[in-house]
Amino acid sequence: MREGEPIIRLKDIQYGPLQDINLNVYPGERVIVFGPSGSGKSTLLHLFNRLLDAEKGSISFYDQPYESYTIPKLRRKIGLVLQAPHLFPGTVLDNLKFGPSMVDEWKDKQGEELLEYVQLPSDYLHRSVDQLSGGEKQRVSLARTLANKPDVLLLDEPTSALDEQTTEDIEEVLSMLIDKHQITVIMVTHQLSQAKRLGDRGIYLEDGRIMEEGPLPDILEKPKTEELQSFLV
Amino acid sequence: MSPEISNQSLLFLIVFVLVPLSLSYYYQLGQNKDIIWSSIRGTVQLFLIGYALNYLFDLPPYIGIPFMISVMIIVASFHARKKGEGLPNVLWTILLGLIIIEVSVLSLWLVADMIEFTPSEVIPMSGMVIGNSMVAMGLALERMKSEFKENEGRLLAALSLGAEPKQASHIIVQRTLMASLIPNADKLKTVGLVQLPGMMTGLILGGVSPVMAIKYQLVISLSIFSAVSLSAIYITLVMYRYFFNKKMQLKQFSHQESS
Repeated sequence: MREGEPIIRLKDIQYGPLQDINLNVYPGERVIVFGPSGSGKSTLLHLFNRLLDAEKGSISFYDQPYESYTIPKLRRKIGLVLQAPHLFPGTVLDNLKFGPSMVDEWKDKQGEELLEYVQLPSDYLHRSVDQLSGGEKQRVSLARTLANKPDVLLLDEPTSALDEQTTEDIEEVLSMLIDKHQITVIMVTHQLSQAKRLGDRGIYLEDGRIMEEGPLPDILEKPKTEELQSFLV
Repeated sequence: MSPEISNQSLLFLIVFVLVPLSLSYYYQLGQNKDIIWSSIRGTVQLFLIGYALNYLFDLPPYIGIPFMISVMIIVASFHARKKGEGLPNVLWTILLGLIIIEVSVLSLWLVADMIEFTPSEVIPMSGMVIGNSMVAMGLALERMKSEFKENEGRLLAALSLGAEPKQASHIIVQRTLMASLIPNADKLKTVGLVQLPGMMTGLILGGVSPVMAIKYQLVISLSIFSAVSLSAIYITLVMYRYFFNKKMQLKQFSHQESS
């Protein structure tokens, strides 16, 4: 789904393993980044969220350079869900409020609403995060990022540490969120079936370079480059 | 009990060295040399300090006190710096902290007329405050480094949600301070019940009445408690910033590829 101007534009990016990355992400798109270990997938997400700064090249958001935004504001607008939930000690509510309360944007009923998004009962709000299962923690982590109302959602293998059933549940939550909110998603995954189910454009990274990109599932079914063909074997 | 211990009596202390030495020998711990060396070094060091103090106590206070306190602060700073290896400006931060704490505590003692401005009172009391502050700063630095390493994921999560370094490291600062304060509060709770503190023991052995000894002990115990708390808060609040760069990104830790 490509409409209008790109929401994020990466130009000649270089950082660590990443070389010459040129990429446009359009509003409402679901971009899946995949590739072998060490290809720079997570690093790319960290660059999007400005947890890292590129050594060379430039990134723009809504056609404005990253540097023109205050860093906390940019990070709230381009929210990141890490591979492990990394919840803060305290209750689910404490975690959900973390982002919005820093800018006085927390509203009374927001907690219930966020839990509804990630399909958790509202009585979980006052539950300690220590009492949650792995899947529940990842849902809270997702809701915590959504609490900032990001325009772009970055997902770094959010189901890699979860069992099959929990992965399916989280995928269902993600599908529903993506459809309902028309949020732009950039997701790193190594599960190709997941890429087909959730994405509409695939980016194949190898040795820090974009080797191939194209619509999903076509790119996986009819790979053009030798690199992707041998990765898919 | 006589406050004097003769040199012949001191020789019998060899028995106390023989205990760990035989243990090391029997269990083949390979510590024999170390035990002998540390015992000799400790004895020589103490005698040298004893003679040096004798000399310093005879000097006019405005020379002896600043000289000895400066030596103590500089040695303590170099020692505590090791715990903060890898962090910038550690030495100067510790040095400044120890100066501020020592000057504040000493001023309070003198203003409230708790001690007199004589080397024999100021130097041992200051030594205890500086020594404990040095340990507190070292422990806080070590703790902070391990907390930052352990909580890298949480820190990244907090930063990614729009937190500034101060907000992101709030939990780490809190935990570091707790770890520094709790043992000292616990020590105060059992003071005198489990063991008589060193200073009080020394004064009683020196012939001072137990009640007077307790008064001195109270002054030093509470001063140390306060100095230790101040040291931990100061070093934590100054040093946590160095774990981040100006772009609110985590320093030191590698952003490893997770896939």
